[in-house]
Amino acid sequence: MRAIIIDDERLARAELKKLLQDYPEVEVVDEAANADEGINKIDTLQPDLVFLDIQMPGKTGFDMLAELERAPHVIFTTAYDEYALKAFDVNALDYLLKPIEPKRLADAMQKLHIAETKETHPIPENFNQSILTEVDQVFVKDGERCWFVKLSDIRLFESVGNYAKVFFGANKPLILKSLNALEERLDPKTFFRANRKHIVNLRMIEKIEPYFNGGLLLELKGGEKIEVSRRQTVKFKEMMSL
Amino acid sequence: MSRNTRYWLFQLGGWGLFALINIFFAFSFDKLNKVDDRIFFFARLGIFVLMGIVITHVMRYVIIGLNFLQRRLERQLLYFILTTLVFAFLVSFLNIELLIRLSDKSILNNVDLLSDNEKKVLRNVGNSYSMNKLLVVLSGAFYFFIYFFIWNLIYFIYHFITKSQKQQLDTLKLEALVKELELKTIKAHINPHFIFNSLNGIRALIDEDPNRARNAITELSNILRSSMQTDKLESVSLEKELNIVKDYLALENMRFEDRLHVEYEIDEDTLDQKVPPMMLQTLVENAIKHGISKQISGGKIRIVSDFKDSYHELAVQNTGKLVNGTAKGEGFGLPSTLNRLSLLYGERARFSIKQVTSEIVEARVLLPLQMSI
Repeated sequence: MRAIIIDDERLARAELKKLLQDYPEVEVVDEAANADEGINKIDTLQPDLVFLDIQMPGKTGFDMLAELERAPHVIFTTAYDEYALKAFDVNALDYLLKPIEPKRLADAMQKLHIAETKETHPIPENFNQSILTEVDQVFVKDGERCWFVKLSDIRLFESVGNYAKVFFGANKPLILKSLNALEERLDPKTFFRANRKHIVNLRMIEKIEPYFNGGLLLELKGGEKIEVSRRQTVKFKEMMSL
Repeated sequence: MSRNTRYWLFQLGGWGLFALINIFFAFSFDKLNKVDDRIFFFARLGIFVLMGIVITHVMRYVIIGLNFLQRRLERQLLYFILTTLVFAFLVSFLNIELLIRLSDKSILNNVDLLSDNEKKVLRNVGNSYSMNKLLVVLSGAFYFFIYFFIWNLIYFIYHFITKSQKQQLDTLKLEALVKELELKTIKAHINPHFIFNSLNGIRALIDEDPNRARNAITELSNILRSSMQTDKLESVSLEKELNIVKDYLALENMRFEDRLHVEYEIDEDTLDQKVPPMMLQTLVENAIKHGISKQISGGKIRIVSDFKDSYHELAVQNTGKLVNGTAKGEGFGLPSTLNRLSLLYGERARFSIKQVTSEIVEARVLLPLQMSI
């Protein structure tokens, strides 16, 4: 398993590398001292795992993740950060408090193996430009709160100016991405552009009703009602009849 | 003096004064020439004063029992007037009844002090006895009302003043307590982020550079110890404070390595000056937190201590930019520094933070000088 350590302190990186010597299956392929360096190295090296410090100069670890198209497996490392700990109830792989307790690291590695065996999907060749499939996860940050979200859990994207509102569970945070850019990256087998303002997850549709002008009205599992424009209705019916 | 003794002193003093004034006026208006007049006058005055004391004492029980003084001001006034009225009528009635029963009817004729109406009532004769009695009771009630009103006024004002004095005292005590607590929490504050990151760094150093690791542990212990000990001190010499700052920056240097450069510019004569403990430390911590740690390529910290006019000047400069040109209300460091300065020195200390060049932010404190002999 290939890993990258991102931390602004050389000593902290050295210490973590030393601790990871007990895990020969983890190969630390590179290090980065700040978020921008980290983004570059993740893009070029496409690691399976990232050890990420939260407090760094320039951008925080959260900011960095939110800039990535696809969130890698992340284990956060932090010295003391109530704000960070709050964010972790959400399904981050794990977090480690510095100085790292070897036993906690062992637990984190255990969790990592479980997660790995559960989803053995091949890593696509062109990691960051490829289409995002259902099993991929994204990192969403909205103000103080952060989530790792599996694309299969997202019901709906709604365009709000330059932003998109992401509907999953009871949350609907905003991300800085246009609906058009999202449409290009999402798997068309799962995500369907219903109209100018909405992209819906086809597996999250609860009910389909006919609507004005030969359009359709979709009711999603979260109760949202989305109109399908006339032009898209033809496409929708085509897809569904296959 | 206990509450009760003070009450009785007021009570006896007041009524005594009342009796004396009455006697004085009776003499000066020649009303005590006849023996019968004298007997009647003193008997009536005695009854009046005695009854006054007893009745006002009862009134006090009513006031305390019904908790008048705890109510809103308008309520208090209303209740006081109502009580005064009720008691005035009650006492006036009792007064007449007592006079009727106690007075020697034979002397009444000779007494000039009584009005005709009163005499008729006292003798229990006359055509319209009950009407006359009512009039006497009414006019009596009027006088009693005035006396009781004065009594109540004194009672009320006395309590009003003592209460507000007590309130002032309580506020002062509370302020002192708050001040003490504030100082304690300000001083006890060391960034936990710093502590754990340092420990993590030290652990890495144990293999890499054992000597540096040992020094780092000493430095960290010094900082922790001083942050605990300063709880007991209001001020400390700059020299001591500077030692902590040096330990602190040595540890930060261990973490940031070549991203942090430190310069000192200390006038040796300022080393004996007293400074609030952990204040310079807080400013340096701030400079690291908001300055150096935000810069990807790091930066420089410069610490200056000098005499300037009649002040002791302490300044911390760091590479960085002030957000929005100001640094108000954000975080813990600056508000606490401002608070401490005003708690300790009032108006005599100055604090400022500003962007001095496009790259450098300076936090500056001016403390009043302490003369050493």
